[in-house]
Amino acid sequence: MRPVRRTRSALLWIPLLPFFLFGLLMEVVPLATVVYSSLHDSGAHLTLANYQRTMSPVIRASFANSLKLSAVTAALGVLLGTLSGYALMNVRNALFRGAATALADVATNFGGAPLAFAFIVTLGSTGFITLLLLKLFGIALYPTFRIYSVTGLVLAYLYFQLPLMILLVQPSLRGLRQEWKEAALNLGASEGQYWLRVALPILTPSLVGGFLLLFANSYGAYATAWTLTGPDINLVTIRIAALVRGEVQLEPGIADAMATLSLLIMAVCVLGYLGTNRFSQRWKR
Amino acid sequence: MIGFFLLYMLLPLAATLLFSFATRWDRSIFPEALTLKWWEAAVSRRAFGLTMKNSLLVSLATMIVSVLLVTPTAYWSHLRLPRSRPLIELFTILPFGVPGVILALALIRCYARFGAVIVYSPAMLVAACMVISLPFMYRPIVNALNAADVKTLTEAAHSLGASWLATMMQVIAPNIMSGILSGALLVFSTVFVEFTLVNLLVGARFKTFPIYLVEFTRFDGRQASALAVISFVFAWLTSLAVIWAMGRAERHREGALGAR
Repeated sequence: MRPVRRTRSALLWIPLLPFFLFGLLMEVVPLATVVYSSLHDSGAHLTLANYQRTMSPVIRASFANSLKLSAVTAALGVLLGTLSGYALMNVRNALFRGAATALADVATNFGGAPLAFAFIVTLGSTGFITLLLLKLFGIALYPTFRIYSVTGLVLAYLYFQLPLMILLVQPSLRGLRQEWKEAALNLGASEGQYWLRVALPILTPSLVGGFLLLFANSYGAYATAWTLTGPDINLVTIRIAALVRGEVQLEPGIADAMATLSLLIMAVCVLGYLGTNRFSQRWKR
Repeated sequence: MIGFFLLYMLLPLAATLLFSFATRWDRSIFPEALTLKWWEAAVSRRAFGLTMKNSLLVSLATMIVSVLLVTPTAYWSHLRLPRSRPLIELFTILPFGVPGVILALALIRCYARFGAVIVYSPAMLVAACMVISLPFMYRPIVNALNAADVKTLTEAAHSLGASWLATMMQVIAPNIMSGILSGALLVFSTVFVEFTLVNLLVGARFKTFPIYLVEFTRFDGRQASALAVISFVFAWLTSLAVIWAMGRAERHREGALGAR
């Protein structure tokens, strides 16, 4: 009886084969290839040489730039997104609230060329804000500020980071119950103490999770940076893409090692996010 | 704070829109005059229609194949093999951790040995686009499956003598249609604006709308602004369609609960 059952349950997997085959061929095998070849030389000998070569100053700088850019845009995104999300939640007008949330929803998906271009039109050397500040207040943004720089990238990335944080933090903000605030105030706490000692600890998992997801989101971004600053900016994704496109001397080993290190960084972020997600679920009804 | 948020979100869009209608706007605070000529020039180019068509083609192909692959998989796993669910979710979450640049690199490093015809082909592009949009396709369908009483529906259909295919097409699909629809629309809008994979996998051989737009920003800003506006409007329309489809699912669910 038992063997029959086992074959039948194995047969149940057959309809899922196309999907798993797809996942294997398009995700697992290609990524495994990259990781494998990053650890081997052309003669299939195990080696760390590719990683040693990523220790060159230029490539180390690209990692530092990417990590810094991600950390800054993620931190600003968490801060501004949480404040905006909270302000948005307290808006009385339901129609306005719905429209603003829809705006956040759409803006999260904006990126790439159109976004970069919109920022050039707004803050470029003859951009709308640039002209406005110059003509009305006599403030010259240029040449101190440049939209085609890392600072410009921070501003452009915030355009999708901020709304993403609003969407991520909204459920947790809604989970803060009015009774908790009343209880704290009744027991003699000040408004500030309530936020610091009650609300913040409850929100912490969502804030940390939001930071990690925003970090990953910014780290992997390519199209916006490429359009805004061109191939000269030293970011990891730009560098890997240049290696792929053959714009610089082809050294697949270096691209593989950079990609593997990036995958590790992304894995930490995504797994961390999933972990905090489980944590923040506890406070929801 | 809300004022800041709205300003940050809307100002770049408004500036781009105004820029696309401005005759000259580099000396004064507001455009010196308005014109339609940038729009006419941008839209009348042959490359505009061609790249638009290519983008639609890739997005539609990805959407259709994705629906056909994911829907039966999610249904079968939900109904007959709940054990497979964590494994399926692993495959659908993995793309979140793989930036487009790295996916492109991995595919090229893995399949280049079979020849450029295979790895740099539109078919490979569609498959890669399916990977990055997999999370958007899978989630809404699973949510819809959880909301509908799939087991009872399937048993009822079977006891009335319907085949698997008939059950799937005529009973299950209509009941989870709002999930399929939201997923499909999300896939469509994601792929339509995809730049990275197109740029690295097919490059200049198969230009899509985002590639065309980037090329334009390099040599004609005015016409590029018209194209950027088209791109924004497109993103808005698809997003509104998704919100509509999800709202439909919500109402559907409430209606079903109310009837009980």
